[in-house]
Amino acid sequence: MTKGDKLLIVFVLILSLVSMGYIRKQGLSNQDKYISIQVNGEEIKKIIFDDSIIGKTLPLDTKYGYNLIEIGDNEIRVIEADCPDKYDVKQGSISRIGETIICLPNRLVIEIKGIETVDGIDMMNY
Amino acid sequence: MRKLNKTIFLSVLVAVGLALSVLESAIPLPIAFPGAKLGLSNMVVLVSLVVFGFKDGITVSVLKSIVLVLVTGSVSSFIYSFSGAILSCIIMYLGYRFFQSVFSIIGISILGALAHNFAQVTVAAFIMSNLKIYTYLPFLMLTSLFSGYFVGLASSFIIKNLKVSFNIIFRR
Repeated sequence: MTKGDKLLIVFVLILSLVSMGYIRKQGLSNQDKYISIQVNGEEIKKIIFDDSIIGKTLPLDTKYGYNLIEIGDNEIRVIEADCPDKYDVKQGSISRIGETIICLPNRLVIEIKGIETVDGIDMMNY
Repeated sequence: MRKLNKTIFLSVLVAVGLALSVLESAIPLPIAFPGAKLGLSNMVVLVSLVVFGFKDGITVSVLKSIVLVLVTGSVSSFIYSFSGAILSCIIMYLGYRFFQSVFSIIGISILGALAHNFAQVTVAAFIMSNLKIYTYLPFLMLTSLFSGYFVGLASSFIIKNLKVSFNIIFRR
């Protein structure tokens, strides 16, 4: 191991970690994801993140129960619920594709989904 | 006679590289990440580059990629590994030729691993015509640090011993 080797390792390490952090941050941008609100298995609402809806609340009054949802900057959370445990409120906000808030007593699923491009490749075998 | 010796030596190196490639596919990795592999066969390419020179090094690496398709039968991974093999071979040679005072074999091996991954990702981005594939690169770079380090460490031992036997065979 020469000094050059160590410098190379440190440089690559820093470069990859920094770009990983950058990509992670970019992944949080609001371009290609939406909020899918499902009650009893059916999608009742689709919300695309937008600057104009930051801070808005959305009451969900269904026959299974009541939840109040707040949309933040690229994140969403449940702030009120009439279910007994209030796990959905305690969970806090979600922001990444694939994350869900589930309120089982009210049969509510809030999921963040990615918008899929139509002409994309489905799968690639490596 | 000397030429025949060299041919046999290179053939043995290709065979060893093939065996290593097949062997490493049987080793499970702790991270399930497409494109991340140990790259043990890079050892052979590095050794032949250092001991024999650029022409024979790239011959070994090209032959190894081509015969490996016949072994594994996966053409799509051949496209990736072939481009990676050629670029990493060139980069490793340049590193060895011009930056020998800066990098040891370990550093050169890491450079080769990085080049391999970069070529793979570039080709993947071309094939899928999607630049987002480049977001894989930092993860691959991180894995190539580890694999490159250990491959380089192993290669430096091999090179040390091989140069001795090489000198005996070729009476230099």
